[in-house]
Amino acid sequence: MNTLGFLAIPAEIVPDQEAVVTEGGRFTYAETLSRVRRLASALARLGVRPGTRVAVLHTNSHRYVEAYYAAAMLGAVFIPLNYRAKRPELEHMLRAGGVELVLVGARYLEHLDAVRGALPALRTVIGLDGPAGSLPAYEELVAEAAEHAGEAGVEDDDVTILMFTSGTTALPKGVMLTFGDFTAYVTANVELADGTPRGAALLCVPLYHIAGATNMMTTLWTGRRLVLMPQFEPRGWLDLVERERISHAFLVPTMLKQLLDQPDLERRDLSSLEILSYGGAAMPFPVIRRAIERFPKTVGFVNAFGQTETTSTLTLLGPEDHRLEGTAEEIERRTRRLTSIGRPLPDVEVRIADDDGHARGAGEVGEIWVRTPRVMKGYAGAGGSPLVADGWLPTRDMGWVDEDGYLYVAGRKDDMIIRGGENIAPAEVEAVLQSHPAVEEAAVVGVPDVEWGQRVAAFVVVRPGASLSPDALTDFCRERLASFKKPELVRFVTELPKNPMGKILRKDLRAELGAA
Amino acid sequence: MAMQLGKRYLCDTCGTEVLCNKPGGGGLTCCGHEMKLKEAKPLPSSD
Repeated sequence: MNTLGFLAIPAEIVPDQEAVVTEGGRFTYAETLSRVRRLASALARLGVRPGTRVAVLHTNSHRYVEAYYAAAMLGAVFIPLNYRAKRPELEHMLRAGGVELVLVGARYLEHLDAVRGALPALRTVIGLDGPAGSLPAYEELVAEAAEHAGEAGVEDDDVTILMFTSGTTALPKGVMLTFGDFTAYVTANVELADGTPRGAALLCVPLYHIAGATNMMTTLWTGRRLVLMPQFEPRGWLDLVERERISHAFLVPTMLKQLLDQPDLERRDLSSLEILSYGGAAMPFPVIRRAIERFPKTVGFVNAFGQTETTSTLTLLGPEDHRLEGTAEEIERRTRRLTSIGRPLPDVEVRIADDDGHARGAGEVGEIWVRTPRVMKGYAGAGGSPLVADGWLPTRDMGWVDEDGYLYVAGRKDDMIIRGGENIAPAEVEAVLQSHPAVEEAAVVGVPDVEWGQRVAAFVVVRPGASLSPDALTDFCRERLASFKKPELVRFVTELPKNPMGKILRKDLRAELGAA
Repeated sequence: MAMQLGKRYLCDTCGTEVLCNKPGGGGLTCCGHEMKLKEAKPLPSSD
């Protein structure tokens, strides 16, 4: 179906309920839909047709959400751009995406202007924050336009969002996600609004990230108030939870850690919070352990693991697995499971594949393959299907499944370390390092070695106030890991290099060791 | 059976699913049978 339905259908059911709340105001479903229809009308007048590439370069706002639904209404392809991208990356995304129209925030105008000359396809720029020179201003366009009546007829395999991956290993890749992908995800996993209370969701991850995009759809579809933060900031997040009585929120690990650093966390009223989910990057064990201790017991934590390529979530580790209660044995099992990404959603099958694609047994590391109706159409410009035999998608993530069906990530396929023919998963070594009480965070990479092919190197952040020697840490690992897995080089650092979602930039660590 | 707002209905025979965004008094049939109410599996995540 046309994803405009995620807004338009609940707007028929709960028209007067608040749909979107931002710094710029509060809007009901009916008001949001009316603004979307008027924006669509204005965009159509500016030449937007089915298939036209429409991009947004700004932080989260109600206008961003409206722009997506207006683009969907016209059957255009929406391209949410990473506003932290450097100029060569921005130019790459605009060119690879074939962008013809950009809605841009005032703070990114100069950034856009710097690359615009090299992009002849880019015909129109609209100012999201008001008039800027000769640019048409968003609010003026919306105010002057009549409501666009119909919606473009689309096929399920038409692309609705071209979303660029974070590019931790190479230039960002454009992932083509279709109307059918999002329809499958949203309708299979959340209930449509029916007028009963559904709470309020706080969205603080960028809308250019898959978790932000799906959240914008599921929240509105289910009749939950969508509260948008332009950008995450811990004090503002806590203020909004209190003021808006937030029931659902999604955080990346870095954000959760920043919240735990707030000295007044326990004095804040977080009683409305029901579900706090996290994902986007591997969660350091000490961070989730402390979060469980410090947030109210009424908060249900959820680890959501997914990829842009699979239209978000594949597996979940649910609230019950985060409750460290019961017998000593249960607590130990649950504590161990906190490093798991949980079990597949109902519309996802998982296979741990060996090099020939055959399924491996419990406990054996292999590449995580998934089969789900919402795999991307492909990478822009790559051609062909990303699927291998029988509809399986190799994720490039390595992992294993335990006896109870819980999935664990071992690291990116390209990050696996091979030392003297033995495979070493960085995540396994990192889990041991992070279980040391003096360790705040750790990342493990392979460094080239004449004798062994690769050796294990560890970058370690020591917890504030704690002290630790490399030898003590190596001894700690020797007692807990097969000897070939223990780090042979330990380097203490004040922080680990990360992208904005909190993913560790291993290529930077390898470069630091002269091993890029 | 009258339909319910916001619910999904499934045809066991051909697999068709129908969403109800405005119920009246009527019911739904497909492939000669009444369509069944399908229970959703809500995500516990922020989604």
